[in-house]
Amino acid sequence: MAIGVRLDDLLYARRMTLTELADRIGITLANLSILKTSKARAIRFSTLDAICRELNCQPGDLLVRRDDEPAATAKT
Amino acid sequence: MSTRYSAALPVAELVLRVLVVLNWASGAAILAVLTATFVATDWTLTALGITPASGIPQMLPGLQAIAVLGLAAIPLNHVVLGRLLDFVKSVRDDPFVPANARRLKAIAWSLLGLQVISLIVAGIGKAIATPENPLDLDAGFSTTGWLAVLLAFVLAGVFAQGTKMREDLDGTV
Repeated sequence: MAIGVRLDDLLYARRMTLTELADRIGITLANLSILKTSKARAIRFSTLDAICRELNCQPGDLLVRRDDEPAATAKT
Repeated sequence: MSTRYSAALPVAELVLRVLVVLNWASGAAILAVLTATFVATDWTLTALGITPASGIPQMLPGLQAIAVLGLAAIPLNHVVLGRLLDFVKSVRDDPFVPANARRLKAIAWSLLGLQVISLIVAGIGKAIATPENPLDLDAGFSTTGWLAVLLAFVLAGVFAQGTKMREDLDGTV
């Protein structure tokens, strides 16, 4: 999956554990772990909103697109 | 799965298992009597209390045809009951799986086959019945039966769509 979730960095910056965040936003730790490891296939806006609210960040701080293709083969 | 399903599922499973056995048992009984009418016609008719004067022996070929159609219905019944049993078992985990859409489609086609057999049996019955020996067969056009066919095809389509939607939802946080 090209979309990465920078949850670890943001949690560290806020001195918050994954468990605490899961409790605050009302989703299971299992699902939050799936998100953290970029194994989720989709994220609801409500979940994104709740995470950004608790971590005091913007969606762009949380989500990043990683271009896996080497520069030489990048499409024009 | 909510608790309101938990009591119905085991009952449904048990009923379906019993019906599966009864279906094959009735098939065996039909086959036994049908075979007897071919290999020992006179003995069988006598055992059934049918006298030559009753006019029934003349109806025998038609009755045998009806019995053959009855035998053809047995595996169709098994498809309906067996697939429904597998469907019920799947409800414990997740019913919206591709296999259930296929099961419902198989049930729909089998129900269609059973309705067609019913029409043919009714036709034969009407052809061989006489005023002295009217045939009261539980066969023919059934609105409920054909509605069940339609319902099964529609449900199969619904489950196919539901499965796709479930696949989309999997992995959504």
